[in-house]
Amino acid sequence: MKWDWNAVSEFMPRFWDGLLVTLEALALGSLLSFTLGLVWALLMRTPSRWVRWPVGVVTEFVRNTPLLVQLFFLFYVLPEWGLTFSALATGVFAIGLHYSTYTMQVYRAGIEAVPAGQWEAATALNLPLRRTWTAVILPQAIRRVVPALGNYVIAMLKDTPMLMVITVLEMLGRARLFSQQHFQFTEPLTVIGVAFVLISYLASLLLRALERRLVR
Amino acid sequence: MLAGLTAAGVLGAAACTRVASASGTRGGDLLDRLRAQGVVRLGIAGEIPFGYIDRNGHLTGEAPELAKVIFKRLGVDRVQPVPTEFGSLIPGLNSQQFDVVAAGMYVNPERCQQVIFADPDYQMLDSFIVRKGNPKGLHSYRDVVAKKARFATGTGYAEIQYAVEAGYKESDILIVPDQVAGLNAVEAGRVDAFAGTALTAREVVKKSAKAEATKPFAPLVKGKPHVDGGAFAFRPTETRLRDAFNVELRKLRQSGELFRILRPFGFTKAELTDLTAKELCGG
Repeated sequence: MKWDWNAVSEFMPRFWDGLLVTLEALALGSLLSFTLGLVWALLMRTPSRWVRWPVGVVTEFVRNTPLLVQLFFLFYVLPEWGLTFSALATGVFAIGLHYSTYTMQVYRAGIEAVPAGQWEAATALNLPLRRTWTAVILPQAIRRVVPALGNYVIAMLKDTPMLMVITVLEMLGRARLFSQQHFQFTEPLTVIGVAFVLISYLASLLLRALERRLVR
Repeated sequence: MLAGLTAAGVLGAAACTRVASASGTRGGDLLDRLRAQGVVRLGIAGEIPFGYIDRNGHLTGEAPELAKVIFKRLGVDRVQPVPTEFGSLIPGLNSQQFDVVAAGMYVNPERCQQVIFADPDYQMLDSFIVRKGNPKGLHSYRDVVAKKARFATGTGYAEIQYAVEAGYKESDILIVPDQVAGLNAVEAGRVDAFAGTALTAREVVKKSAKAEATKPFAPLVKGKPHVDGGAFAFRPTETRLRDAFNVELRKLRQSGELFRILRPFGFTKAELTDLTAKELCGG
């Protein structure tokens, strides 16, 4: 097996393009999954079963089907019903939606872990419901779940290569395209492998720092 | 599934350099081994009409049908398909996942550096899949550039190079896994044109109500119209097998049997060829 530094330097410009797309998908996907997850978690706590039921069915369905199948469905089937989005938008939506069904469970655990006394105190102070949530419960709940949410960021990072199947040229897509044109596989794939390790490691350092600030 | 193929390709690429350097016999002994086994593995890309599995689960297509005839004459009775993606055919061949590429692959100089080709069994022009009525009036790669059309083609397709030669920015090309995904991209309005061989385009739009294929045209290479030829590919060490294959292919061409094999797949007399692999490799 030969290692060719020329192939590496030839691949690098495309690598940066791919890295940008990967990070873009990761950032937007995380944002979407954190927001949607919170929405699901709150909806699941409404007293009406006419809300809880549909939300429960939809999220269970999304959580129990593979992300890859969802990607194919959103990209190849939805356009037949007249809904066409760009490949990256589809990918971000799929990852965000898929992971929101996980983060919703994380939020649920965080909310349930807030001591009952906090609820009682809010009631005793006659705080309106909205204020109880925004000022008392959620700040404590979210603080507790940051480490768990961070794990999902890393899991999402490692799932971004799946976007390759819907023609998003993220890092793996770039590497594969390069390999197939130049018939050199070792170098580009090694480069992106190293990149994944570095990004996950940096992300976990960042999250640990955040954790230390938040969890006291 | 795709990730798995890629992984296989990676392992394959790692293995191939070792195998190539370890091979001692001049010209290779693959033909003898295939005769002993009685079966040859064909790499196909699931591309109608070149090599694909039909509705009933049978291997067919221009290249596999031709392979069945030629290998039978060479003393190998059975063929076994190994379906993969077009872009994985050459890596898969070089990593021993199959013995021959039977996908009607175009012969071009880049590929000739990786594999050896038999003489072409057909010649072919390009065509675009466009929306019904060709609203942007795309008839050549130059039109695509001039009209700033959004353009797609397949992974590892020769058409990437033709578009780039015409002045299209390589990073703007949408790369889809195969011609069906290409048709889908046109129908969904993601791109204005998908480039493929004239025959692929003609066949794949048959089932579509929203798309059509443009009139076949010759892509320009170094300013001159270029006619492509599709052929069987072999590992670079297996020259003996390739030469034996060429001898049988020539006989079929002379007897007119070649055309009888190709005709059911939509080939016409215009697509029969005298081109040689050598001419097309020369660049």
